[in-house]
Amino acid sequence: MFDFHGLFTGFDIAFSLVNLLYAFIGALVGTAIGVLPGLGPAATIALLLPVSYKIGSPVTSIIMMAGVYYGAMYGGSTTSILLNIPGEAASVVTCMDGYQMAKKGRAGAALGIAAIGSFVAGTIGILGLTFIAPPLAEIAIRFGPPEYFALTVLGLLMATYLGGGSAIKGLIMVVVGLLMGMIGLDPISGAVRFTFGNVNLQGGIDFVTVAMGMFGVGEILYNLEKTEGVQLVTDKVKNLWPTLADFVRSRWAIVRGSVIGFLVGILPGGGAVLSSLLSYATEKKVSKHPEEFGQGAIEGVAGPESANNAAASSSFIPLLTLGIPSNASIAMIFAALLIQGVTPGPFLLKEHPDVFWGVIASMYIGNAMLLVLNLPLVGVWAQLLRVPYAYLAPIIALFTLIGVYSVNNSAFDIWLLIVTGILGYLARKLNFETGPLLLAFVLGPILERALRQSLLISAGSPAIFFARPISGAMMAAAVLFILGNLWASWKKSRESKVQPASVS
Amino acid sequence: MKKGQRITGIVLLAVAGLVIQQAIFVLRINDGGQPGSGFLPFGLGIILAALAIALIAVNLGPDAEKSALWAAGAWVRPLLSVLLFAAYALALEKLGYIISVFALVFLWLMVVERKKWLQAVIPGILSAVGVWMIFGLLLNVPLPMGILAR
Repeated sequence: MFDFHGLFTGFDIAFSLVNLLYAFIGALVGTAIGVLPGLGPAATIALLLPVSYKIGSPVTSIIMMAGVYYGAMYGGSTTSILLNIPGEAASVVTCMDGYQMAKKGRAGAALGIAAIGSFVAGTIGILGLTFIAPPLAEIAIRFGPPEYFALTVLGLLMATYLGGGSAIKGLIMVVVGLLMGMIGLDPISGAVRFTFGNVNLQGGIDFVTVAMGMFGVGEILYNLEKTEGVQLVTDKVKNLWPTLADFVRSRWAIVRGSVIGFLVGILPGGGAVLSSLLSYATEKKVSKHPEEFGQGAIEGVAGPESANNAAASSSFIPLLTLGIPSNASIAMIFAALLIQGVTPGPFLLKEHPDVFWGVIASMYIGNAMLLVLNLPLVGVWAQLLRVPYAYLAPIIALFTLIGVYSVNNSAFDIWLLIVTGILGYLARKLNFETGPLLLAFVLGPILERALRQSLLISAGSPAIFFARPISGAMMAAAVLFILGNLWASWKKSRESKVQPASVS
Repeated sequence: MKKGQRITGIVLLAVAGLVIQQAIFVLRINDGGQPGSGFLPFGLGIILAALAIALIAVNLGPDAEKSALWAAGAWVRPLLSVLLFAAYALALEKLGYIISVFALVFLWLMVVERKKWLQAVIPGILSAVGVWMIFGLLLNVPLPMGILAR
């Protein structure tokens, strides 16, 4: 029986004045950073972690951070449509048709359908979250260390492969992330690892530093290489309400985008980026006029924008029920919960029902707030794009530097930020995805504890991971996943070898 | 690009070697019949070494198309900003956050962005005042005052 009482209690919490205020602040900040290129939701949530110490209440902090995350999904479309550069990664595909629509004088319709699609999909995503999360948490209660180890391995593998790009590079980032997470005291034996005599490293590296370095400073350094300016198509957006014909063309794209986004968002590594790409490909495939895609087809905006919002909502499912974050932004929210003394996972619903239901209920409210923020204020957001990056970059850098310092009041953390920032910059230059590194960094301690506890239970036999039904199924899925990908890349390399030969 | 990937592979191989050395000689792989603090690092070191070799192997041979990792002078502005970050890290606790924030923004706009001094000094002052109001007054974050504390 569904726990309606829990949901109503959640609404009671979410409707308190303080929580409404923080949901609004989160949505507002999220939209702003979504609009502004250069600072993604993961780095912003990391930046807000020091603020969450001040807030005190875990439910209020998480409501704000969730607002930042789904707010960024909304805001990202504005930059894609008006500037042809994605405000954040999940809006990459919106550029293709959104910008073309803007060039034809239909920026208002593109922004309008993006906001409406986002609202509908976000709401569908939250409904799914409301009804799927509680039974999943019930199942997850039965998980022991072997299941957690298998789940973490599967999650990291999927994050690596689904993130796109080279599998070797993705796996390297996962291993580097796991190793970085081991710096400091071993949580089981208390041995000091990889500090090389530096006392400052004994407490380990803070995830705030890694997130801000990799996503914040690394991104700034990368953007500094580009000198050319970008041009707004228009900053006076009119006719935000799409026409009836636009609605008719977009309605199924929104529904399909919502379903795709919801399903992909649950997968580790899936998240908003992959779902928007999948939605775009699906829309192009099912369309009666695929030739219009890339020329300003409204379905090419409606589908992906719906998908990334549905995914943003459903990516909370593995976090709230299994304690496994599915992407870098959710990993930051996971870290924020840990700071507040709340461990996300199957016991969250029983131990902290206020957090569980409060966050879910606040997402309904936040989603409605975003629609109000995005439709009438789109002109204001467009004006924000007029701030030159030359001024924006030092301000983002400044907030990053102060944010990192304020976590431990230590100048050493600034040096670590610089090092991780350089690593993030080099990773971007060499086409290494930074997301898997951060995910592995956060999941590392869970993985190691589960591995060592499992081997302790089995007296050192790795058969324990395959003998138990749930962990066995997950390990089998992980093995199949690796073999499937190896086969796919082998086939791809064979085709690329055959093709030049046949051409010649 | 392939050369850059090969160099990355070699660096990662060295890191893997260091991790394995630490796991064997500094930490304990086997702790009285149980997996010790070096158990997972040892395994990860081996996996990293294998991946580094794979990265080098798939990037052997010349590039299909010529693409330099750094276009002419593209590294200058990132390097300058890293130097400014380092200067900020050194100055923060000595000079205090208000002066350091002003100096960072002012110098960034002068050196990295090549703005005129008035275009740099006003954002510098506004940033210092803004940070003081947000972090100092509103959030009450304890940031070092440095020489202004005296």
